[in-house]
Amino acid sequence: MRLIRYAVPAVILGLAWATPLAAQQSLGSISGKVTDGVTQQPLGAVTIRIEGTGRETSTRPDGGFVLSDVAAGSYRVRAARIGYAPFLQEVTVKDGAATEVQFTMQPQAAVIDPVVVVGYGTQRREAITGAVSTVDPSTANVGVITNANQLIQGRVAGVEMVTNNGEPGSGAQIRIRGSTSISANNEPLYVIDGVPVANDATSGSGFDVAGGSPPLARSALNLLNPADIGSITILKDASATAIYGSRGANGVILIETKKGSAGGASVEYDTYAATSTPARRYDVLTGPEYRAFVQSQVAIHNADSTRGLDSSAIATLGAANTDWARVTTRTATTQNHNLRFAGGSDVTRYLASLNYMNQDGVALANGMKRLQGRLSATHQALNSRLRLGLNVTTSQVNDQFLTYENNGGFAGGFFENVATFNPTQPVTVTDSLGTRYFETGSTSVRNPVALAEQITDRAATNRTLGNLSADFDILPNLTARINVGADKSTGLRQLYIPKSNPIGSAVGGLARQGEYTNVSRTLQTQLSYRRQVGAHSFDVIGAYEWTQIDRDSLIAESHNFLTDAFSFNNMGSGTVIVPPTSGGRMDRWISFLTRANYGYKERYFVTGVLRYDGRSSFAKGHQWTAFPGISASWRLSQENFLAKSPFSDLRLRVGYGVVGNPGAAAYSSLLTLDPSGDARYVFGTTPITGIAPNRNANPNLSFERTSQLDIGVDYGLMQNRISGSLEYYVKNTSDLLLTVNVPQPAPVVNRLENVGKIRNRGVELSLDALPISRPALTWRAGIVLSVERNKVVDLGPYTFITTGTVSGQGQSGQTSQRVIPGFPIGTFYGPVYAGVDSTGRQLFRCSSLGAGDTTTTGVQKCLNGVMRTARASDYKVIGNANPDFTLGFHSEVSWRKFDFTMLVRGSFGQDVFNNTALVYATKGNALQGKNFLRGALTDPIRVRDPAVYSSRWIEKASFLRLQNITVGYSFDIPSSVGAARTARVYVSGDNLLLLTGYSGLDPEVFNDTNIGGIITRGVDYLSYPRARTVTAGVRVAF
Amino acid sequence: MRNSIRFARFSTLLALSALPLVGCTDLTETPKSNITPGNFYRNEAEVLGGVASVYAMTRNDGTLWGYYNMSEISTDEMIVPTRGQDWFDNGRWLEIHRQTWQAASPAGLDDINRIWVDSYKGVARANVVLDALKNVTVSNQAGMEAELRTLRAFYYYLLLDTFGGVPLATDASVVPRARVTRDSLFRFIESELLAVRGTLPLTRPATEQGRIRRGVADAILANMYVNAGVFHKETGVSATTYNSCTGVTVAGGLNACQAAINFSDSILNSGAYSLAATWRSNFTATNRSSPENIFVAKNLAASGLGLNFPQRALHYSQFSPEPWNGFSTLAETYRAFDSADVRRQIFLKGPQVNQETGAPVCERPKTTCGAGSVPLVFTDTIGDATSAHENEGARIMKFSVDPGHVAENNGNDFTFFRLAEIYLIKAEALNEQTPGSATALGLVNTIRARVFTPPKPLVAINRAAILSERLFEFAGEAKRRQDLIRHGRYTTWTEASKNGKAPTTEVFRILLPIPQSQMDANPLLVQNPGY
Repeated sequence: MRLIRYAVPAVILGLAWATPLAAQQSLGSISGKVTDGVTQQPLGAVTIRIEGTGRETSTRPDGGFVLSDVAAGSYRVRAARIGYAPFLQEVTVKDGAATEVQFTMQPQAAVIDPVVVVGYGTQRREAITGAVSTVDPSTANVGVITNANQLIQGRVAGVEMVTNNGEPGSGAQIRIRGSTSISANNEPLYVIDGVPVANDATSGSGFDVAGGSPPLARSALNLLNPADIGSITILKDASATAIYGSRGANGVILIETKKGSAGGASVEYDTYAATSTPARRYDVLTGPEYRAFVQSQVAIHNADSTRGLDSSAIATLGAANTDWARVTTRTATTQNHNLRFAGGSDVTRYLASLNYMNQDGVALANGMKRLQGRLSATHQALNSRLRLGLNVTTSQVNDQFLTYENNGGFAGGFFENVATFNPTQPVTVTDSLGTRYFETGSTSVRNPVALAEQITDRAATNRTLGNLSADFDILPNLTARINVGADKSTGLRQLYIPKSNPIGSAVGGLARQGEYTNVSRTLQTQLSYRRQVGAHSFDVIGAYEWTQIDRDSLIAESHNFLTDAFSFNNMGSGTVIVPPTSGGRMDRWISFLTRANYGYKERYFVTGVLRYDGRSSFAKGHQWTAFPGISASWRLSQENFLAKSPFSDLRLRVGYGVVGNPGAAAYSSLLTLDPSGDARYVFGTTPITGIAPNRNANPNLSFERTSQLDIGVDYGLMQNRISGSLEYYVKNTSDLLLTVNVPQPAPVVNRLENVGKIRNRGVELSLDALPISRPALTWRAGIVLSVERNKVVDLGPYTFITTGTVSGQGQSGQTSQRVIPGFPIGTFYGPVYAGVDSTGRQLFRCSSLGAGDTTTTGVQKCLNGVMRTARASDYKVIGNANPDFTLGFHSEVSWRKFDFTMLVRGSFGQDVFNNTALVYATKGNALQGKNFLRGALTDPIRVRDPAVYSSRWIEKASFLRLQNITVGYSFDIPSSVGAARTARVYVSGDNLLLLTGYSGLDPEVFNDTNIGGIITRGVDYLSYPRARTVTAGVRVAF
Repeated sequence: MRNSIRFARFSTLLALSALPLVGCTDLTETPKSNITPGNFYRNEAEVLGGVASVYAMTRNDGTLWGYYNMSEISTDEMIVPTRGQDWFDNGRWLEIHRQTWQAASPAGLDDINRIWVDSYKGVARANVVLDALKNVTVSNQAGMEAELRTLRAFYYYLLLDTFGGVPLATDASVVPRARVTRDSLFRFIESELLAVRGTLPLTRPATEQGRIRRGVADAILANMYVNAGVFHKETGVSATTYNSCTGVTVAGGLNACQAAINFSDSILNSGAYSLAATWRSNFTATNRSSPENIFVAKNLAASGLGLNFPQRALHYSQFSPEPWNGFSTLAETYRAFDSADVRRQIFLKGPQVNQETGAPVCERPKTTCGAGSVPLVFTDTIGDATSAHENEGARIMKFSVDPGHVAENNGNDFTFFRLAEIYLIKAEALNEQTPGSATALGLVNTIRARVFTPPKPLVAINRAAILSERLFEFAGEAKRRQDLIRHGRYTTWTEASKNGKAPTTEVFRILLPIPQSQMDANPLLVQNPGY
């Protein structure tokens, strides 16, 4: 860290000294013409940019362009157009002279950068032997993109990315080639500018208002401004990720931020404003519908007292007609501003940017604000033998939270009450005491508008991420590198639930503050050797890496305040002080790694990787493991026998590697003691702090290992106007880190062990095409297709493991999923619904006569293959949350100065458990004066039948979503205007169309209903609605 | 020249920065907010922190959930009917009541598993501290060890009662162990209690109220001995006839019935206990001071430390925070009580009031009574347990609400063993030795004397009368399952309300199945017969 402290002033001084030099030069101009290399036709709408100056223009329909008032000197001029490979040429401008140039551009389907970031260095694309995908942020960053994750969605085969819900800044589930683990982490590793970053929660968790669990944490990567991202590389197979060893099992996402370049200063400003509305709302009964329903049920009851609702239900009816789904949502706005300036000289370059983003949620009273600044600087010295680099990103993210539920029981959070609050009651009432929110008087039924407006729940997170690197060429081919990275975040979460709210009234007001501090430090030292000898190329690196992550937390809570006026700012004034909790943890990784790449005649390439990883949280004697990887590629298209084939490029790749999952929290192997709540006791009338083991020792705890075989073909046809790849992989994960029951007696029922095996297999196809390439019109389109199959091969001695808590009233102890050998992760397990009997009671399939079936009690009787109360022995596998295949389609059209882009995503064949409908599309809610979802009105189940988890609530959730459409127009602004040089305006629509048969709000769901850390998939419970967003934006370069 | 100096400087810098490479391969973990047994349990206060954690498993989240539910709801004392959207809960409440559980059924994986896990957690926590005490010397070491061994014996006693012979561990290692026979486990508990009872204090000061005294060891022994006809047998427990303690020989060559009498006498004659003057005072929020308490689960009206029984029984409108309106009793059981018996007052039936304010309350959906609302009137009958109305079923509110409760935490201690049971154990053992024993009759009438005004003593005694008296005295105290099994009535009780409980002759139901999750975790386990 000390290095950074000195380097920042040094670099800033350097900038101050470099800038005036650029101003004193005389002027010339560059003019020229751009033509298509295949058709020889002139090309319009080509962006011509003088690198590092911010000077740019675009070509006229006749292909011509002029850039005047250019200072004399040497420049790199770049021509770029959708559908063509970028073209770069050195141009020298002389004082007072017009320099003429001719550019010829080659059509190309995909955006392909010749150099790819692969971890601990870069590689030429031709030399890559593993499964590596890249995303071009300039085409992906359209619409409202608030998190870097969203750039990947639908654009990379084999990467499944589902944001948790529609909440601003929401976390996401990213699975690269499926889930390899049952209970350990399935998140990929993020590496920003070479430094692995922890994707851990940065502020205290939310407060559980619903008796289940608080909302899921927002994404810890919200600190990054997507506009700052220069490139994204995704390492998918083990031969590529083996360089990250124990942290590579779930794939690696490498993010490089934008850097400054040589040339004069440039300034860019871009901004957008967006409005969002909920794409769908909960479909609840209106006031009149609910009133009519209650009245009809009372009539039924009056005729037959065992059915319907008794007359007291009439008393719950108010005179209002409130659409709670509408009054709790809104048209929300987002605004985003980026200001970036860059420049520098040949030796010192810089780029600085500032971002402000303010996004409101479509539900009431929540949102996210980000203020972020970034500085990137590079400096060369010693005739470029020494290269220094610095990146510092600092941000403040202010989150405002809504008190909704992730899962829940009896008491309701925000969305439960949206679904159930009586629609015949008003939002507010006015009487002699004034105007206040209407409440029922029950502490578990809560006016959702009041929940949103009265409760303050916010977090301010400050996070600074920085790294300083130095590369030094010891010899012409031998480079030493040192990279020091630090990441510090401090997040303070503050909550106050006032006495005026039913939740707060039960405890006299509740204030809570929680602070998390995460500090991650990384040191990398590296030697690289690169040499070309005749037809042989060598590229070898060796490195050492040390990472330590320290986390500290403090949570304080107090209740029973004299007044709500203190909010959370004077917690000592509460008379009930909940014992504060604090904690400290330390994790450390130490690694030695090497990679060697050998190429022969640009045809044959072999890469070998070996990483030796140490991790502190595993058991002594099991802390170190080696992770190897080897891969090879053969560029068939370079061979003579394919010279006349249609393939302009054809490459075969094979790779094999072993990687690990580090998903074991600190101290996982140790028997530790803790003053846990369930160890406290009372002697006399005095509470005694009890100290009890909170974790069993596991002296054998070690890495989870994933071995992966990947076979891939990269192809290009018709001068690469069609290109893409096709891959097949098999991943075998063994020694799964699994929290399992241990033989009793044990002080804790379970522990983390290495048990069992999973297999993932899949095929990925990507295809990019350039169907139209004419001077005024270009159309490029691409498709990605992934097919992934996952199977639990072995679970050690365990017959099955239950997971997937079912949420809602009357569901305690109910689970929805099992992990069963022979079945995939995400297997739904339960009774099979068979319809209703004549009185409206649900019936379930029974497979055999059991004990009691022959009795006359009627209830237990298995009759005609059905019964009323399903037995455990009749439970079956009733669904699979994994899709058969997923699809992404993107298209970019450029017509004169217009551009049109589109992204469509789809997922097919997966099942979703509609937990929302199970408990809220049920008429029985009316017994408690509560509303329900409209679907229940027409179902034949009687009012008094309980909500029973069964196959009835497992729905097909295939969908096709129009994720984004953008239309843009670029202006040339003549230099005589003297203001901006170029400008682009655009409008964009997100989530405009969704085709699905799923009856819930949205078929893309994530709800964390794990039991004991065993993952679940495909459970929909009271999702925060996803938004439909329209954005308008402008980008101006000066 | 200048460049070479810079180069030299930079090389030095590079060399220095590479230094950590040599030194830094250290992966030692030193837990910060957790501690390890190696740096704890060094003195009496620290050991007491460990002892407290062993006691803690008796409370709400431990014994008072799994063991309590299975002891009550599988009998005629309690039922949790499905009430509209409430209390279906995977069907497990009715599964328990109808005795249709299996090793992998909802109740098997939930409540039955809780008995296994929570009891063994108590055992394991005791073993961790006992292991630590082998390496240190603290003040009152012998007393602490005796206390821990008694507690451990208590948790084994719960396992013996519910599962029969189970794996027996006396150290903290986590390894698969095979089951021992039920008789061996019986002998182990017996020998442990006999070994430590002399070290346990007869009385303790008020600040230690709730900690183990000699009476606890004696009460467990007396209870085990009167149940010896069930507890020591691998097979041959009768589902239809009384399982007598006569004919079972226990430590010292004694007949089990005689041993039950001896250890009852040890308590009765110790001078440390006496019957509370008023029966009700054994269950109120201040029941900690009852002279009748032998062993209780301690509670306090403080966050996370109280008893939550009012939540389980009361209607939503009768308490704050809002109760769950679940656990009820059966009409037959309610009606078995004499209307003049004070003990019948534990039931809530008829028009209801808020237990805190005394104000009349109404049914949902209207939580406050007003125009159009229906007053809450508990009925004793339950029409259809799969679809019960919210007012159906009388409620057992034996442990009355604590006026000083903090949220759902009430300060009433839960009574595992109190002196009245010792009277009835002695009476039952005497009646086995001498059917119709006059001494036994006297003991039962002592218990009855404080609950009838005017007195209503029994004139004769037999097994059925003792079982009834135990129902009246201990309803809601987690005794019923054990009593019905001993009396050969556990699987054969019937109820008129046709809630799906039919009499069975499934003698194997007397032992619960070992939950499938536990069978999986320990390959040496053999399932109980019948499952």
